[in-house]
Amino acid sequence: MITIAIAKGRMQESALALLARAGIRLSEDAINSRRLALMDETGQYRFIFVKPADVPVYVEHGIADCGVVGRDVLLESEADLLLPLDLGIARCRLVVAAADPEAMTNVQGMIRVATKYSQIARAHFGARGIPVEIIQLSGSVELAPALGLADMIVDLVETGRTLRENGLTVVEEIGESTGRLVVNRASYQLKAEEVSRLLNALTTAM
Amino acid sequence: MRYYIGAEARLRRTVEDVAMSVFEGWNYEEVITPSVDYYDLFEQGMGQREAQRGFRFTDNDGRLLALRPDVTSSVARMAATLLSERPRPLRFCYAAPVFRQQTQSHAEWRRENTQLGCELIGAGGKSADLEMLRLAAEILARLNLESRYCITINNVEIFNGVAAQLNLSPSAREDFRRLIDTRAAAELQRFLQNYDSREGQVFAQPAQLTGKLAVIQTARNLITNERSVAALNVLDELWTEIESLGLQDVFDIDLGDVSSLDYYTGLSLKIFVHGAGTSVGRGGRYDGLTGNFGRAEPAVGFVLNLDALTEVLGRKGKHD
Repeated sequence: MITIAIAKGRMQESALALLARAGIRLSEDAINSRRLALMDETGQYRFIFVKPADVPVYVEHGIADCGVVGRDVLLESEADLLLPLDLGIARCRLVVAAADPEAMTNVQGMIRVATKYSQIARAHFGARGIPVEIIQLSGSVELAPALGLADMIVDLVETGRTLRENGLTVVEEIGESTGRLVVNRASYQLKAEEVSRLLNALTTAM
Repeated sequence: MRYYIGAEARLRRTVEDVAMSVFEGWNYEEVITPSVDYYDLFEQGMGQREAQRGFRFTDNDGRLLALRPDVTSSVARMAATLLSERPRPLRFCYAAPVFRQQTQSHAEWRRENTQLGCELIGAGGKSADLEMLRLAAEILARLNLESRYCITINNVEIFNGVAAQLNLSPSAREDFRRLIDTRAAAELQRFLQNYDSREGQVFAQPAQLTGKLAVIQTARNLITNERSVAALNVLDELWTEIESLGLQDVFDIDLGDVSSLDYYTGLSLKIFVHGAGTSVGRGGRYDGLTGNFGRAEPAVGFVLNLDALTEVLGRKGKHD
């Protein structure tokens, strides 16, 4: 049996749809229940649903053999994992956004950046030699510039609607983020057959 | 920070005794090295990046010290200096705690781990490599793990030869290594499109990097550079020996094990046990190390993580 940790929220629906195309299905009853650990119809796979940032933790410690989680979360975590498949689901962009399109040159003094992704923001500005003050938030990041908490934000953008409605424009693209399949290093060796069966099924379904 | 009390402490002691008695059976002498030593020693022994994970502090005269982050450095220096006159090969084993700072995602108690390890110094070639593999297999076989374990072997010169042939810049080489190490198949194929080389393709399909003898045969179809071919031959011969000992179920070849290239010079091995999320042991050949202490000679060794093994066996006991 293989345990797969799925990031709750944005990722969950498209991950389950992809898995269903790969022939790994959860019954309707199971999906509609509020249990956080479920078996698939064949009994070969167990699913656990956890917060996105916890997926790398469960997989690195081997509690889950595999996980489905966004690249944005992986960049932010320090977990040591295998990343065999880019599933191409829940595609979105990581961007720097600000109210003033020229903010990068117009801001006086130290730039203040509000974000949920402090590691990614630090690495992005650090690589370009721009000193910034990172303000770590856990949600509704788009509010920060309007209320004067920060000059810019680093955030995940799907359609760009939330940005527009809060008067922000994209200043820079940092990169793209899609759902990835991650695998625990020990499971990759010790459950090689099951893991490669899952990899093949997902590759065909993509 | 971790306490062992009563039954757990006894189990831990039993695991340690099993390993040490296997080492002793193969004529390995126990060695006890200092817990605190000059930081310099570990930087020479492990390289800067690994040594910096150690806990460092200064004495009253401002000299930089460290709590030992490994034992191998001390044993290598001892062999090159104190024991430079002793006839080779030297065989040493130890059970000793090492101290390393851990990344955020790890539990804090893992900052201290006890290594069960051995070093064979002054012997190169297949028979020394095979001795390590047999020692590791014998310890695991005696630990009541019900064959739910696996030792992966590789020869890092296979990657080194291909990387040299692709003529990679240091940063591209590191990217290539990281992509192989994390088995990122799509990125690997994109990376290799920039290089017009058949040989790189050997790493393009992560699924083909792990397995039994077929892995070597697949690699042979793509690799032609001398350095990698020589390494493949060494691995091939080693595998033949493993098969003739009837140990092939316990071992896997993993050409994708490229996690510590600046340290190992030939054989590298990792040990996985069902129930532990990370490898519980590792080792390999490090012919470049003893030269740092003034006497270059072949050396090979491995360590097992006593705390990780105890945890797996302890949990198993509770569930049965």
